[in-house]
Amino acid sequence: MTRAQPMPVWAHEMWRYRVLYLFVLPFAALVVLFGLWPIVQSIILSFASSSTAFRLSPDYVGLENFQTIFADRRFIASLRVTLLYTAISVVLNVAFALGYAVLLNSGYLKRGNTFFRLAVFLPVITPDVAGFIVWKWMYNQNFGAVNAVLGSLGLPMFGGIADTDTVLTALVAAELWKHVGFYTIIFLTNMQLLDPALDEAAKIDGATAWRRFWHVTLPQLRPAITINAVFALIQFLKTFTVVIVMTKGGPNFSTNFISYYAFQKFDQAAYGEAMAMATTLFVLVLFLTYFLYWVLERTDWR
Amino acid sequence: MQVKKWLPAASAALLMSAATAASAETLVVWHDLGDNGINWFNELNELYQKENPDITIESVSFPTDQWFGKVIAAINTDSAPDLIYNNYERVIRIQNQTGKVMDLRDEFASISDKAFLSEADIAVATYEDQMIILPIQRVQMGFGARTSWLDAVGESFPQTWEDVLRVSQKFQNDDPDGNGKADTFGIAIEAANPRDLVHMLDLYTFGTGLRHTLLDPDGKIVINEPRHREVLVEVMKLFTSYNYVAPDSVNHSFAEMYQVIEGGRAGMFRVGDWNVKKWDAEALEGDFTIGSWPAFASGDKNAVVIGGMRGVAVPENAPNKDASLAFAKFLLTKDAQAASLNNVGAAVRGDFEMADLSDNRLFFAKPAHNLNAYDFPESINSAYPEVEAEYHARLLGAIDNPPDDWDAFVDGLAADLQKLADEKKS
Repeated sequence: MTRAQPMPVWAHEMWRYRVLYLFVLPFAALVVLFGLWPIVQSIILSFASSSTAFRLSPDYVGLENFQTIFADRRFIASLRVTLLYTAISVVLNVAFALGYAVLLNSGYLKRGNTFFRLAVFLPVITPDVAGFIVWKWMYNQNFGAVNAVLGSLGLPMFGGIADTDTVLTALVAAELWKHVGFYTIIFLTNMQLLDPALDEAAKIDGATAWRRFWHVTLPQLRPAITINAVFALIQFLKTFTVVIVMTKGGPNFSTNFISYYAFQKFDQAAYGEAMAMATTLFVLVLFLTYFLYWVLERTDWR
Repeated sequence: MQVKKWLPAASAALLMSAATAASAETLVVWHDLGDNGINWFNELNELYQKENPDITIESVSFPTDQWFGKVIAAINTDSAPDLIYNNYERVIRIQNQTGKVMDLRDEFASISDKAFLSEADIAVATYEDQMIILPIQRVQMGFGARTSWLDAVGESFPQTWEDVLRVSQKFQNDDPDGNGKADTFGIAIEAANPRDLVHMLDLYTFGTGLRHTLLDPDGKIVINEPRHREVLVEVMKLFTSYNYVAPDSVNHSFAEMYQVIEGGRAGMFRVGDWNVKKWDAEALEGDFTIGSWPAFASGDKNAVVIGGMRGVAVPENAPNKDASLAFAKFLLTKDAQAASLNNVGAAVRGDFEMADLSDNRLFFAKPAHNLNAYDFPESINSAYPEVEAEYHARLLGAIDNPPDDWDAFVDGLAADLQKLADEKKS
């Protein structure tokens, strides 16, 4: 008589939690259908010729679309400015959020704490387009609030979004206003979980406030820093709305980020190239996200 | 029994309604004309149902960029609408991407009442020996100026480029809107997207009577020819040295340009035939004068520009092809054309009552001025879009870093573009 083969561990686990899996199944199917399938489809189309991309049987041209975009000096410039913008925005957003969260969590802003929390979070729930239209008017060269204030203080005018030298700064500021509240809330949540005993012990040992923050508080904030940095990286690599509302990729292509450039290619019916750009961006996001996560997780924070 | 009595009648009624439903057809039109277009198609539906009660017309308006993607995807996946409606050059792109836009030559030949169409109208509708649209609406664009501003600065409507520069200066410096602030500009212009700046250059170039803006039919770059050079350099100087346009114009596309015009920030601007109805009723409240584009040199025969032709096309795989073709032909009838002029501000025929139209609307509806049409280079030169994109990019670079010597810039640009055009051609 042969003995029955024991059930594999994974099958055993699935059977054990079969009801749970049954409940999750519809949502998993939706994720595959509306989340993963479009990504797979766009990757497939990046290998198709533009003129047949939307046909039932597209003509596939191998890596031709990728060769075309990497031979396009404007795409290389777009790649460069996207990475530069992302690096600046990630560092600034995480740093500002951390500083603001520390301030809100300290005793200095006890009065009006709710107001300040609300003030920093309101832009997050403001519709993107509405917020950026206001910023666009604020940067207006003739009657914008920014230059009105600078002018009244006797300071030189700010080129805002009409000048290639200042447009990145202008967009970074607008997006900082828009997103920093979200990262601040993540930091504040993490701060609720800090162990006060560690801070008190360091205080008893005579550590200064700065040393306690640097060596006690900050290491405990590692989960929030990792989440915020990774999330910000993904967000800013895909920057699109602020561009389409405020600059249309200009002036002189200085804010022609990859998402917007791909959108323009799509608009010009260069579907293959647009998908190749989107796929390149997707790979870049995956790689840089994993790399950043790996670096942050490996860093000794103590 | 009552049931027995009523059953045959009920069955007959059911059968009749099923038969009616089977013969009833809904024709779906995809366009990008917004509310004006939707109103026009609603009126067409009412007109058409008088003779064709079983046919219903439904129109769907998409933003232009979405219209492209949706039409191409739908045609290529055999889920096409019955009719598509847009500018001729956009239908050319649809044909290039799908190869499934019907040749309408036979349908056009079967129309008896079409003497109002000119040879140019028919030429525009033809691409690679196929008639890909029935021409329905001529797109006319004139030069406009705020009437009250002209009065305020003591000027009349500008006829020449010199006039435009002089009036611009006054519009910027003499507070033409009387609000006590230096917040007005001479000219509204757009330069953000690849088509924006080139579109404005097209208007000034054709408006002064020239026949080509970038490439001639032989594939020769024309921007360095003396008259073209003058238009190009002068328009570029609006941004770089005259500064008669808002500094933010480099980020402006159509929406932002309209904000500048309608918000009362610029005194001279493009007026499309489709703008007039709205600007008569609201926004500018009729405070504008329309005329020909300025002449750049003495002897130039300045003109209003025919910037294209909107027309109706039928996909090869349209669900109700025969009914679609019949409706497409209906769009050239007097009633449909009158509805077109009333709702969208454009038509190809004018043999109907126009007594109620304002002077501004009559300017386009009953043209009494010189007309100069686009040369439609994309229909004869497949390299044109890429050459134009490079042209636009280089011009944006020149706005950002103005050259000391514009002549040298134009010569260098012309040489580079010629090289690119020749490469693409070969």
